[in-house]
Amino acid sequence: MKKKIAFVIKSLPYNRETSRLGLTHAIASQSVDVYLDEGDMIEPVVCFIGDGVLNCLKDQQCMKHYNNTSMETHIKNALLVDLQVYICKEDIERFGLTKDDIVTDAQEIGADKIAEIVPFDKIQGIMEEVDHLQFF
Amino acid sequence: MKIISFLSHYRHGADILERIKTTKLGIVFVGNGIYHVGVSENGKPSPLLDKKDVSFYALIDDIETRGFKIEGIDKRVKPVSYEDLVDLIFNEYEKVIWL
Repeated sequence: MKKKIAFVIKSLPYNRETSRLGLTHAIASQSVDVYLDEGDMIEPVVCFIGDGVLNCLKDQQCMKHYNNTSMETHIKNALLVDLQVYICKEDIERFGLTKDDIVTDAQEIGADKIAEIVPFDKIQGIMEEVDHLQFF
Repeated sequence: MKIISFLSHYRHGADILERIKTTKLGIVFVGNGIYHVGVSENGKPSPLLDKKDVSFYALIDDIETRGFKIEGIDKRVKPVSYEDLVDLIFNEYEKVIWL
């Protein structure tokens, strides 16, 4: 049986580990099956909404200043393992940002998957469609 | 009272600054406080930056960590290094608070 889980990231990056944990759990769900019953499969999807869209800014220099991986890198790793990533269009616009400011691909590390910037209605639909919702 | 205040949150903490009476106030945006100077929500800069008679600073390391460019932050805010902060704390203010 296939279970769909949406990992909805609404928290800002860095001050707390919340958003990083959400993405880590999603990547883990894509990569391993330790908590599944035999034969079950997980189909994770990641959605960034609200303040959470600020995790997706390009050119984060966390490694340079704090010797830690950035959320930008983490998102690229998610794309590398073919996670479906959605980013809320209205929230990006609310912060005065454009698609050019946002991480949507990771071709430089060989990822084929593209993060999609979508209206909140689409994310609403995903939240209704999945079996489980996890907010971070 | 000359206070320099570190502000490391985006959604809370700023209200406290409205209540404290000071003769000189500096606000240093660090951590996620950086979003006050990096984004304009609904087309408007953070209302905190409209506060009069306040010196605003933002830590360069935290600006760049979050993906912003130093030249792109609000012009009312002075980008500062850790070394600059030490000078500010020791030379220009009497007390330090963290919100």
